[in-house]
Formats: sequence, C-alpha cells, structure tokens
Amino acid sequence: MRQAAPTALIADDERLMREQIIGRLKDAWPELQIIGEAANGLEAVAMARAQQPDIAFLDIRMPEMDGIQAARALAGQCHIVFVTAYDQYAVTAFEQGAVDYLLKPADPERLATTCERLRERLGKGGEPDGMEALLEQLARRLGSGESKPREYLRWVQASVGNSLRMISSREILFFRAEDKYTRVQTEQFEALIRKPIKELVDELDPDEFWQIHRAILVRVDAIDQVSRDFRGQQIVQMKGNEEKLEVSRSFTHLFKHM
Amino acid sequence: MDKLDETKPDLQASLREIGRVLVRLWWQFFDWLAVVSRKQLALVLFLVFVAASFIFRDPAPLIPLIITVIIIKILAGGKRRAELTASWATARADTEQLERSLLEARMEALQAQIEPHFLFNTLSSIDQLIQTDPPRASKMQQSLIRYLRSAMPQMRDGSRPSLGQQVALSSAFLEIMEVRMEERLQPAVNVPEGLKSAIFPSMMLQTLVENAIKHGLEPKAEGGKLIIAAEIRDGLLEVSVSDSGMGFAPKSAGGVGLANIRERLKVLYGGKAELVILVPLEGGTRATIRVPYEVAPVAAEANRT
Repeated sequence: MRQAAPTALIADDERLMREQIIGRLKDAWPELQIIGEAANGLEAVAMARAQQPDIAFLDIRMPEMDGIQAARALAGQCHIVFVTAYDQYAVTAFEQGAVDYLLKPADPERLATTCERLRERLGKGGEPDGMEALLEQLARRLGSGESKPREYLRWVQASVGNSLRMISSREILFFRAEDKYTRVQTEQFEALIRKPIKELVDELDPDEFWQIHRAILVRVDAIDQVSRDFRGQQIVQMKGNEEKLEVSRSFTHLFKHM
Repeated sequence: MDKLDETKPDLQASLREIGRVLVRLWWQFFDWLAVVSRKQLALVLFLVFVAASFIFRDPAPLIPLIITVIIIKILAGGKRRAELTASWATARADTEQLERSLLEARMEALQAQIEPHFLFNTLSSIDQLIQTDPPRASKMQQSLIRYLRSAMPQMRDGSRPSLGQQVALSSAFLEIMEVRMEERLQPAVNVPEGLKSAIFPSMMLQTLVENAIKHGLEPKAEGGKLIIAAEIRDGLLEVSVSDSGMGFAPKSAGGVGLANIRERLKVLYGGKAELVILVPLEGGTRATIRVPYEVAPVAAEANRT
C-alpha cells in the first residue's frame, strides 16, 4: 500500500494560504499527491477519514474545529504537520504529537527539512507514531475527573423590542426581584428580565455577585458603602446609585467584619 | 529674700507645667468625648452622678457640668464626624484620580496592540500574491500600510480623532480581510459623508470590527455580512457594527476590548455615552456606540485639503 505515491491533505480556511503550501510542496516534494483541500477542521477530519491520506497539513486557527482538535480526532490515522502564521501554539502542537510545525509563509529550505522528516517516517513502516502515548495521556486526563472550571454567566440578556440586549455583568450594579420580573440596574439604565433571582444566584460567579436578600443580588465591586439605619438594619449602597438595599438577617454574615 | 527669689521661678515653672498637663488632659478628655459612643457616655455620666450623690449628698451642682459635657459631646462629635468624612472623601478622590490615570495608561497600551496573527497572516498572503498576482499584492500591501499608519498610536497625529479617520482605518482593515477571507466576508460601509468630520474616539470602531470578524464571522464556516453604519439620533452620534455571524455567547468572558471601550467612554463622556450590544432575532450581533455629536474642526480642515 505504502509503495504508492505518498498522499497529503491540506487544511486552511484561506484559499490563498492553501495555494501557497500546495505550490511550495510541489517544488519540495514533486511525488507527493495532494488529494484534498479543506477549509475547516470538520471538513479536514471528514476528508481524512474518507480518503486516508498519509499526511495532513493543518492550519491551527480554523472555524468549526481548530487544527489542534482536528489532530486529536485524527490521532494515529495520519502524520500531522501544523502550519500557522504565528508561533504561539508551538508547544501545544508538539504535545499533540505533530511530526513538524511550519510557519507561514513556509521557507523552501525549512519545508525541504519537513519533507525529509516525513519521508523518513513513512519509510519506517508507515504507522504514525508518537500518538499512542499522547492518547493514553489524554485518556488519563479525561478519566481522572479533572473537570473544566465552571463557566459563569458574563452577560445578561434583556429583551428590547425585537432584539436582545446583552448587558455585561461588569456593568450591573444589582438585581432586584419585582413581581414577576427581575430588575437589572446599571449606572445608566434599568432593564427587566424574566430570570428569577434564584436562578441568577446559581449562574453568576459567586465571587462577583453576592446575595444580600431573598430578592436582591449585588455586584461586590460596585458596593459603595454598608451602613446601619436607626433600627440597626444593614443597608448597602452601590456606586452611582441612590437606592438603599436592605441586607436581610440571614445574609448579615457577609458584612460581619464591618 | 534669697529663698523667696529662688522659689518664685520654681513655682512659676511648676504652675506652667501643671497648666500644660491640664491642657493636655483637657484635649484627651475632648478626644475621648468625641469618639465615645453615646450609650457609654450616658452610662459614665450616670455613674458619676450616683457617685457624686454619695460623696456630696447633694449632686445638684454637678448638673450644669453634665449639661456642659453633653453639649461638648454634640459639638465635638460633629467636628469629629466632619473630620472623618473629609479625610475619607480626600482618600476617595485620590484613588479615583489614580484609577483614572491608570486607566489612561492601560488604554494607550491596549490601543497599541495589533494582533500578531493578523499581521503575520496578512504578510504571508502578500507573499503568496507577489508570486501569483503582483498587482493585487501591491494593493494589499498598501492597505496594510494605511492600516498600520493609523492603528499605531505613536504614528497618529495629535488632533482629536474623527469618525472619518476611524472609518478609513477600519476600511483598510476590511480590504485586507476581504482578500484573505474572500466570499466568507461581505463588508459594507454605510457612513454618510457629512458625519465623517464628527469627533469619534480612536480605535473603538476598529475593536468592534475586529470582534465581529474574530468572534462572529471567522468561526462560522460560511462567513457572512459585516456592516459599519453611522447616523445621528436624538442628538447623539450612533456608530454601529453589525455582523451575521455566530451570535453572542452569554458565558463568554466578553474580552478586554468591550470592557475597555466602556471604561474609556466613561472617562471621556461620563454618563453621556454608551456601548450597547444587541442580538437581533435573526441572529448575529450588533454593537453600537453612542457619543454626543460634536464636529472636529481640525479634522474637517484636513479633509478639505
């Protein structure tokens, strides 16, 4: 099987860049057959599974699925060479078991070295190596239950006419439950959303927002002062807003040191 | 005689000393009065009153003294509170000033950032075009030069930036991206000629355009439209960038770019400007910056020549 001309797949979201690498490969390795061009990672993986090329040249930044993810999906099926315009990813690329790592525009001498390396690997018996250890490592990492840090809501959606307005959590002073709605207060405006305080408490970063009352959620960084009124009730005031927010008894521990 | 002469200065000195101690004690008492809580003061006065009634039998002469103490407490407390408030306000004004200058420094640093990916990818595309389509390569290179010239802060002139300059910068950027992304990017610029002399802060439009490409169109396989538009509404200059891309993810951290625009608008215009991000029902994202409408005289002059 491997006696036939070696085959390669090129994946890059920019046509000019695909043409560039194909043109340069033609000079550096005339026998190499380009069997397909893909414009994103998903296409590259589908094409590689269907046509079984020996080598995949993968751009790292691509839509749908990036080069690194595509390499993961193709682990053990073909040799991978990463191609990118900027070398911020070099270490990650080699961690993925890449044969080589090229910077665009590929310099002819550098490309000749890459081709030499690939020929050597293909001549050795073909099977892409280096990936087994990596796969094992990946499986271990996935199996160890090491989950990704939780993602919190950074933007709150409020409807405005026919659109949704995205309000950055950093703009928000506080949320206050009002009848069926929840009021979102910023320094400049207020908006009503349907999400109840109870849900917001779960979805927002607890380091960023504190619940001070069954019906009130405040952004910690925007707290201006905490005081007591004549009844000894704790009152929170936010920067750039006059409203006095009561701290209910079950949340007074938040400001105990004050 | 001798004895008396010797003791006299001694007595004077000790009297002065006693006076000094009394003054010090008085101020210590005053300070204590100023800070002591009312409950504590009431308790102390009550105890003094009770003790006095045991010692002197009739504590009535103490009453004017106690009233004096209470009056001093009220006055001293007010003074003390005023002092505290004043020092607190100064401290706050200082931090705000500091925060402002820090913000400005950070703004400058952020403005100077040109994405290395953009730069290297563009240079690589030019390299390819030099071999296959030299006239197009030259055109792209000119766009890159125009973009870099207006994007680098040290190369910008000191005059207040106009919308025209900012649109020119983003147009140069879009021309480059159009060559690279081909049919995946369909840009349009709908900015009336008359609005180009309006004052508009630097790099904000460019940040919105870059965001629309990076988060909206580049991750979408088929790409889409990007529209820059400007109009006057209710006396405000409204500049918007709409894209038909991926839409907005509520869990995305939102990037430094948008937070930076928001902070700069606050510093430059107080509460009179805003950045609004809308997600239309048909998808994509629309980001709008509203600032007070103001014409830049210098820029208008430069446009004419």
